[in-house]
Amino acid sequence: MDVFTALGGGFGVALQPGNLLLAFIGCILGTAIGVLPGIGPLNAIALLLPFCLALRLPPESALILLAAVYYGSGYGGRITAILLNMPGEPSAVLTTLDGHPLAKQGRGSAALAISGIGSFVGATLSVIAMTFLSVPLAKLAVAFSPADYVALIAFALSLLGAVSDGPAIKAWAAGCLGLLLAMVGVDSGTGVERFTLGSLELLGGIDFTVLAIGLFAIGEILLLIETRLRTEAAKLGGGAKLSLREVIFCTPAMLRATGIGFVIGVLPGAGASVASALSYTAEKRLNGAQGKFGQGDLRGVAAPETADNAAQIGNLVPMLSLGIPGSGTTAVLLGALLMYNITPGPLLFEQRPDVAWGLIASMYIGNAMLLLLNLPLVGVFARLLTVPAWVLYPGVLALSFAGVYAASNSAFDLLLAIGFGVMGWLFRKMAIPLVPIVLGFVLGRMLEDNLRRAMSLSDGDVWALLGSPICLMLWAMTAAALLWPLLRPRRV
Amino acid sequence: MIADRILGAALIALGALGAVSAMQLEVPFAADPLGPSPFPAAVAMLLALCGLGMLLRPTDGFAPPERRMAPPLLVLAMLLYALLMLPLGFLLAAALMATTVALLFGARPPAALLVGVTTAITLWLLFDKLLDLPLPKGILPL
Repeated sequence: MDVFTALGGGFGVALQPGNLLLAFIGCILGTAIGVLPGIGPLNAIALLLPFCLALRLPPESALILLAAVYYGSGYGGRITAILLNMPGEPSAVLTTLDGHPLAKQGRGSAALAISGIGSFVGATLSVIAMTFLSVPLAKLAVAFSPADYVALIAFALSLLGAVSDGPAIKAWAAGCLGLLLAMVGVDSGTGVERFTLGSLELLGGIDFTVLAIGLFAIGEILLLIETRLRTEAAKLGGGAKLSLREVIFCTPAMLRATGIGFVIGVLPGAGASVASALSYTAEKRLNGAQGKFGQGDLRGVAAPETADNAAQIGNLVPMLSLGIPGSGTTAVLLGALLMYNITPGPLLFEQRPDVAWGLIASMYIGNAMLLLLNLPLVGVFARLLTVPAWVLYPGVLALSFAGVYAASNSAFDLLLAIGFGVMGWLFRKMAIPLVPIVLGFVLGRMLEDNLRRAMSLSDGDVWALLGSPICLMLWAMTAAALLWPLLRPRRV
Repeated sequence: MIADRILGAALIALGALGAVSAMQLEVPFAADPLGPSPFPAAVAMLLALCGLGMLLRPTDGFAPPERRMAPPLLVLAMLLYALLMLPLGFLLAAALMATTVALLFGARPPAALLVGVTTAITLWLLFDKLLDLPLPKGILPL
């Protein structure tokens, strides 16, 4: 099918009034949760999912809403980074380096404007790339055998250690834990109970929303409550507005950042934080001599923000085309689709073009909305930062619990979510990354199912796992990704 | 250092238990040549191996909380909520929890009470009335 016809069909879905409204709501929510430290797209989507199911939103509408929250959050993190010198999102850390100095020099509004434009450029160019790349990638994957999938998932998991900030062994441990959590419950192949500890509530397995809300929402609030809170708010600054010349000056940096961000995003495992860090470093190396990086260079704001949004969109490509999420948040989106009985992957574009192309078309519209929302209304979003923590977080916590209960109707799941919350908090304090847990959890069943299917097809011959050139290549890449953290020089 | 060691030991124990429990599964019939045991057993052993690595080469320490009492109190408030929600009902339990959390985040008592009650009522209206997701009524005549 021609890409343009398919995209046209997608716009037919995305332009329906209800879906336009959902995209708009998602964009506002996304920017808002991006602004607020402690609430990220991951827990916001986990919280919204029960609502989507309860309201019986059709899958394409739910995905349009949830995805808008996801890419909208990439616009919000910069506001906090620039005004408060603290990232609203983990991937906005680099934006603080030049963004906050600019705000102190009275050029906060210019920094906000260029980062908003950068976010739009990065996201939109990446959506265009995604439009043309998704179907070829999906076609490639249609021919994948179960053994190929085993190798692909193993590769995606192996990258977790290679791109993690901390020691690789901690990322691997977290990934194994996620895989084991996915095994809890009745095994679908044989009806055997695994790891249920005799509990009736665990027979059906651990609910995905319980894990995500526990680890990320509850764990984050535990982390927030133990630190003394900052109160100083920042001003937008009345300095010179962003000029067209400055936008043109930043354009090459934004284009480079889009390329870096999108490629990093498509690779499984590497997320927006890696992309924004890489693009900032690249700009500093290229222009360090004539720039004033670290003291308020507009390019130092534009590059990481552009890369951040480009990587977010890039992350969606393997999720939709291969069914393999590359980041924690896309894992949650995948979990959402699975709850709708829709399996992303090679067949999605043929079987449910309304879902796949509706989403892609809505991202063109959503990013245009976000640009319009974020340039004039940036002050409104910035005001969110003046809401005191004691108003915000009790509400977030109560909403988390109400969401968990609404999704499962079981008080047991509330206790389970608290348990995961405490675990997430302790792990964060010990530099154990949480994203591998979610990825392992989502990929666990998929990995095991494909492994067992491959073994059935080969009648138990283990060598079948290495039976195709694609397998061999992917396993070689897996081995490289596993060895890399062991060989690279230790960072102190 | 010590935190990494403790967690490493815990992961070894968890991995060993998981591997043993997976290998002891009694499979009534084998639908596929692999069956339900080997994969979880292998992952559990990998987990134990990672735990061993953390035990032998621990890294940076565990930053003690700046406010030592806040996290345990928050956990206590959440547990109370989970246990009280069915008998007391969502409104009372959520109001109690939200008030406590607001206090822990440094609100003055009257403001905390206001936040707690408003949060509970707003969520009740949102879930129970607007979205038609029933929450437990408890002892309140609603």
